[in-house]
Amino acid sequence: MPSSDSAKQQCGALYVAHHSWLLGWLRYKLGCTHDAADLAQDTFVRVLTSRELQTDQQLQEPRAFLLTVAGRLVSNHFRRRSLEHAWLETLAALPEQQVPSPEVQASLLQSLHEIDLMLDGLAQRVRQAFLLAQLEGLTYARIAERLGISVRTVKRYMAEAYEQCIMLSL
Amino acid sequence: MHHAESLSPLDSSDKLDRAAVREAAGWLVLLHEDRQNPQTLEGLSQWRVADPEHERAWQRAQLVNDKFGLIPAQLGLPVLGHATDSSRRRAIKALVLLMTFVPASYVAYRSTPWREWAADYATRTGERRSLSLNDGTELELNTDTALDVQFDAVQRLIKLHRGEVLIDTGADPRRADESFRPFWVQTRQGRIRALGTRFVVRRDDDITRVQVYDGAVEVQPRHTATRQVIQAGQQLSFSADAVQLPRPVDPHGADWSRGLLVAQQMPLGEFTRELARYRPGLLRCDPAIADLRISGAFQLDNTDQVLAALPETLPVNVVYRTRFWVSVTAT
Repeated sequence: MPSSDSAKQQCGALYVAHHSWLLGWLRYKLGCTHDAADLAQDTFVRVLTSRELQTDQQLQEPRAFLLTVAGRLVSNHFRRRSLEHAWLETLAALPEQQVPSPEVQASLLQSLHEIDLMLDGLAQRVRQAFLLAQLEGLTYARIAERLGISVRTVKRYMAEAYEQCIMLSL
Repeated sequence: MHHAESLSPLDSSDKLDRAAVREAAGWLVLLHEDRQNPQTLEGLSQWRVADPEHERAWQRAQLVNDKFGLIPAQLGLPVLGHATDSSRRRAIKALVLLMTFVPASYVAYRSTPWREWAADYATRTGERRSLSLNDGTELELNTDTALDVQFDAVQRLIKLHRGEVLIDTGADPRRADESFRPFWVQTRQGRIRALGTRFVVRRDDDITRVQVYDGAVEVQPRHTATRQVIQAGQQLSFSADAVQLPRPVDPHGADWSRGLLVAQQMPLGEFTRELARYRPGLLRCDPAIADLRISGAFQLDNTDQVLAALPETLPVNVVYRTRFWVSVTAT
């Protein structure tokens, strides 16, 4: 495994050679210069802190590697935006005295985003059952009733969701 | 704008053992079903010490629950319930679902003049719970609360054995309907009659405290003939023998029902006593710093995080002797 210095050098070289087309690609994907610049930056930060880089494997195919990393950041970006949308609409529908303070809002939104990422890829039913349990504190029997499925299925869904959340938590 | 999140395939560091994760998930499923079951708890602690990988997976599993503990349901469900494609429609649908729940039970009540209802409800330390009764009344049970609901042909009675409850009576008591039944809350210190209203009743050892946010209530201590009406915007405490004069109500006295403890220049001693109600075990405050003032809105579902933040705003240390024995001391 090379030293972190040489990893930094590799990343530096990668930056010089690839930053400009990556920025162009991101601008095309996002339709916004600011967001594109941010995400390009994030992409290289990811590369610098990723362990795989130190194994040299990705450097055989730098473009493909960068596109994988950047592509994931882009989908993440859109996810967050759609979450923010749902968040604002939910806030707007709350009675005024229930709207949390701006500080609380910011930290709630961040937590929601982290949870959203943990739940990524779960089937809609699994997600629904899990949220009813975790957020509303419903019993398995109530969830089964609500979703019209058996208690055994609810437990299976719960196990699946917990497993994924533990793998992706951090 | 962009936050560092884990992108799973790249974060190969700190890989967890898949089998251990699956088993940890299994324990979480059991715990959600019953947090107090001694067999589950015993089995879990044996599993945790059986293998360091188990413990590692368990620590991460705890993080998952911590994360959810911060989110109030009425915000989390509509936001997270969205599918990735049609987020907005789903968020709105979820809200509409929540909103139509109460009226449905109210309509059911109106079409059947009265119904018997008897049940016992309780919450554990740190838990809160909402209930809709069949007359349209909404109850919010705060931490460590026990009550019985006894509805019959002549009255609606809530017996509060311990803890605190927010009551939003559903039906209009002034309507001259023959099915009207008076609404009572009973504690060891006496009775409270609701006159169409939203109010909080809290039981401490020897007193009952009543805070009225809408309508009015009438208090009747157990051993006296006194009757005291409390109007909206007032609160008072009473014992079995005496009633205090009404005072202006604490505007944040029902915020716990939203999962918040709101402090405005609250003495730290009082603040830690309040916080202690929401966590199992001991939470002590050094008398030397009990008069420090604290302000802010704090999430009751994660008191560990609240405690961890104290040293950032006040000259105090938070000392964990064990997870269940915490002292707030002077620096």
